[in-house]
Amino acid sequence: MNTPGYKSHISSQFNAELEDVRQRVLAMGGLVEQQIVDATHALMDRDAERAAEVAKNDYKVNGLEVFIDDECARILARRQPTASDLRLVYAVIKTITDLERIGDEAEKIARMAMDLAQHDRFSEGMLEVQHLSRHVTQMVHDALDAFARMDAEAAFAAAREDQAIDREYEALMRQCITFMMEDPRTIRRVMDIIWSVRALERIGDHAKNIAEYVIYYVKGKDVRHVSLEAMEKEVKGG
Amino acid sequence: MSGVQTKTPLTHGIDIESLEREQTGSRVDDGTIAAEVDGLNLFYGAKQALRDISLRVPEKKVTAFIGPSGCGKSTLLRCFNRMNDLIDGCRIEGQIRLHGKNIFDRDVDVAILRRRVGMVFQKPNPFPKSIYENVAYGLRLAGQSKKRELDEIVEWALKGAALWDEVKDRLEDSALGLSGGQQQRLVIARAIAIQPDVILLDEPCSALDPISTLKVEELINELKNRYTIVIVTHNMQQAARVSDFTAFMYMGDLVEFGNTDQLFTKPKQKQTEDYITGRYG
Amino acid sequence: MHSPTPNPAAADLTVRDTGGVRSYVKSGQPYVWTTAAAIAVSVIITVALLVLTAVRGMAHFWPADLLQATYAPPGEAPAPLLVEVRSAEEVTGARLQTAGLPIEDPEALYTRALVKVGNRDLYGADFRYVVEEWIGDRSWPEDATVWERVEWGNLHGFLLSASIDGRTIAGPQAWTAYREAQRRANELREQIDAIERDEIGAINYRMERLRLEERRLELDGLTRAQDTAAFAALDARRAALDGEYAELNAERTRLYEALNRDSIAVRTIDARELTVPLAKLVAGWQPNDMNLLQKIGFWFGKVWEFVSDEPREANTEGGIFPAIFGTVLMVIIMSIFVTPFGILAALYLREYAKQGPVTRAIRIAVNNLAGVPSIVFGMFGLGFFVYFVGGSIDRLFFPEAAPAPVFGTPGILWASLTLALLTLPVVIVATEEGLARIPRSIREASLALGATKAETLWRVVLPMASPAMMTGLILAIARAAGETAPLMLVGVVKLAPNLPIDGNFPFLHFERKFMHLGFHIYDVGFQSPNVEAARPLVYATSFLLVVVIVVLNVAAITIRNRLREHYKALED
Repeated sequence: MNTPGYKSHISSQFNAELEDVRQRVLAMGGLVEQQIVDATHALMDRDAERAAEVAKNDYKVNGLEVFIDDECARILARRQPTASDLRLVYAVIKTITDLERIGDEAEKIARMAMDLAQHDRFSEGMLEVQHLSRHVTQMVHDALDAFARMDAEAAFAAAREDQAIDREYEALMRQCITFMMEDPRTIRRVMDIIWSVRALERIGDHAKNIAEYVIYYVKGKDVRHVSLEAMEKEVKGG
Repeated sequence: MSGVQTKTPLTHGIDIESLEREQTGSRVDDGTIAAEVDGLNLFYGAKQALRDISLRVPEKKVTAFIGPSGCGKSTLLRCFNRMNDLIDGCRIEGQIRLHGKNIFDRDVDVAILRRRVGMVFQKPNPFPKSIYENVAYGLRLAGQSKKRELDEIVEWALKGAALWDEVKDRLEDSALGLSGGQQQRLVIARAIAIQPDVILLDEPCSALDPISTLKVEELINELKNRYTIVIVTHNMQQAARVSDFTAFMYMGDLVEFGNTDQLFTKPKQKQTEDYITGRYG
Repeated sequence: MHSPTPNPAAADLTVRDTGGVRSYVKSGQPYVWTTAAAIAVSVIITVALLVLTAVRGMAHFWPADLLQATYAPPGEAPAPLLVEVRSAEEVTGARLQTAGLPIEDPEALYTRALVKVGNRDLYGADFRYVVEEWIGDRSWPEDATVWERVEWGNLHGFLLSASIDGRTIAGPQAWTAYREAQRRANELREQIDAIERDEIGAINYRMERLRLEERRLELDGLTRAQDTAAFAALDARRAALDGEYAELNAERTRLYEALNRDSIAVRTIDARELTVPLAKLVAGWQPNDMNLLQKIGFWFGKVWEFVSDEPREANTEGGIFPAIFGTVLMVIIMSIFVTPFGILAALYLREYAKQGPVTRAIRIAVNNLAGVPSIVFGMFGLGFFVYFVGGSIDRLFFPEAAPAPVFGTPGILWASLTLALLTLPVVIVATEEGLARIPRSIREASLALGATKAETLWRVVLPMASPAMMTGLILAIARAAGETAPLMLVGVVKLAPNLPIDGNFPFLHFERKFMHLGFHIYDVGFQSPNVEAARPLVYATSFLLVVVIVVLNVAAITIRNRLREHYKALED
């Protein structure tokens, strides 16, 4: 694993700025993570209030994105970062975009939760949804952890989870379709769940993106749109 | 290497409003003003080199003057310690007020003014004396001659210029034996030894290699905790890196003066935009 | 055309034109050769100059062998010779005939040799020309001796006996006894010299001062009758000096007696017998009996004598110490005057004066001053320094000496000042050059630290310009040390009785005349009664002058280089 290079510039100001940006990304990541957890809990518990809270808090995520974006633009303008510094700033810009999307997805789940809360209790498949949400939350957490430590291998491990999540998602989808075919009256509620599951799956994709940015930062290689095997080769070798 | 944990408490209680205030940055008028240029016109003979310049230099901040060659930025800088007095046929109208006092007043002692407004030049110009004597030069001029006090101040100044560790064992060696970057920091030590209020830097890094440049920039960053710094630079990126405020000058006019972040990300004037983006010409 | 190159770009690199004058000129070789030739010629001339003066001059001190022979020109009685052969050349009989020699065949070539016969008091001349073909019976007797005498040049002959302290020693011991006695005599002579020159000289000097004091009192309007106390004091001091003088004189008489004790008997080659008191002899040596090592030792002794002794016999014998001393002292005094003066002038011109037509005119004037012939400076020195300034000083400060001038006559001070004036442009130009080369940034650095212009000049600019000033001084020294013509007008003399520095207060006597190597060369070479004897001395003195100048220059250059190292310029 690489030592975070951004801490050893001659310019202590530059060090401070990069560290600050990184910290804020982690803060944003923490916030987003919390949003996912809260949203899925609200979904499970049919807790409209909590869901409303999540929906409301999305503006914080958005605010942080704008702020960090600005900060990055400022660094680009004033410091003209190169090499690993440039990759770091670039990875940060990309990461916060994905984090913001994750935030949006969490908000979407929260809105579904609010919608569901108005209906009757519906327990079929909820266990699987909960499982998926845990899995996704863990993956987001792992991706952010890899980001925090700038650990390419951890990032690769997180990215690999996306496959499992996709499989889980597909299984859940089939289940939902079965529900709807069995009892068309549930369609409206199941649709809400489908949307939520769909959102969770999207979150997984975003988390995978974040992991890829970490690999990009550490290894300097773009590993988007490549097979897992190729990604693994980049991470382990070189 | 131990992993940095992501369980962060920063998540909660982020005050977005406070972030927004941070974002806009400080404005010129927020802090105290060290020097105020007011309607300054400067002529070399019949040629006007500066046209009606007015700006405020905030205290304990770094203010950069940028602009193409011949735009008058160095000339303006040299007004602050009246270095232009040396040039025949140089005429100045208007005022520069240093803590309220116009430095062009007849009763101003130029030597005292220059002790309060130090200057560092483009090329490292240490005297051909020992490192010690270089730093002590201004002090000796001011009548300081007690060895112990001199020793203390020299050490303090060299530490302040981040040079002490590199030269403490060879203070009696010729300053000309130092590298370019060290010489420039020595010259800065020499300037701060007489404890000025303002330090003028006239393209201090143009003769240095990139690493020395970064060291000097880092030094500037530290010095601004104590001193008001005005820097002239050809290098826009340098202005962007080190300064809090930037003035863009063009053909003797002050085109734009403002917060560096703002000036480099969204300049108000088209001319500034063209210059900093390299469309000038 | 017939064989197109596959790659024309590659063909472009090959040399196309290999012959012809044009391509040779274009190649730059001729310029290299021309420039190299120029430097080669310069080096050869310099080396030749040094070698010529050194060899011709220094060979003079080599103890030449004494040739004993019979000289028999046709139709004349054979005469014996005991000579040093100096040089030989081939001449036609016709030329010798016109010289009055009894030549039989004007067409034949003869070898004419210049020989030193010595014994000027006996033969009337030291040197004569002989025709080698007429010399016979050559031999180099080991006991042939050369004596250097206080006057009349060298004596060539054979030692018969030595009369030491009343005893007469003949035979083989005579030579050792003579050597011993000669050493004693030389020591005595040194003592007498010391008494006469230093001690009696000091008394005379003080007597003269007393006379002047008395004269001053009289000029102040005092008379012996009125102011008995003052005059009595003078008289008392004079009496004391008289007493001292009497004592010294007695000592001197005693020493003279001791000196005149010994004598030797000498037989010359033409069988004349002479009795020579040792007081009249300086040294004696038997060159034919000396081996190489002894000769080398003798040579060094002679060279040292030449460098350290005073001249004798119209400068053709003895040493040239006063001339060396005078030259060096004059150069030093000149440097002391010209350096600060030139530096101040350059400082004003470069640092303070407003640059414009006036300064430009001054600069041109200064540069042209360097081109004025030196004799003109001599005239100016005589007219201005000696007559005007010196005369005024005499009138104001030394009325008691009148009518004898003190400063109103040529002297070392005026000579130094004249040369200072002569070399001033060099110092000014060099200093100005040095000041101009100091980077503006250094001055600004000093000013920006709150220094005034004067402080900047004094603390930074002047030290940094010091190597340039030294360069100016070096050039000035080089010019001044070799200058002769103006000095003849303002202070140099053929023979100065005293050095300009001695033990009498105020030790440095600015008003005294002095001797100078350059003038010494001129004097010995052209004004000497004994031209043949003087010729090697001219070379030797020239060589010494070159050495003195080189030493002065090397000293100055060493100082400059040290300064340069210290103030290594920042310009790059």
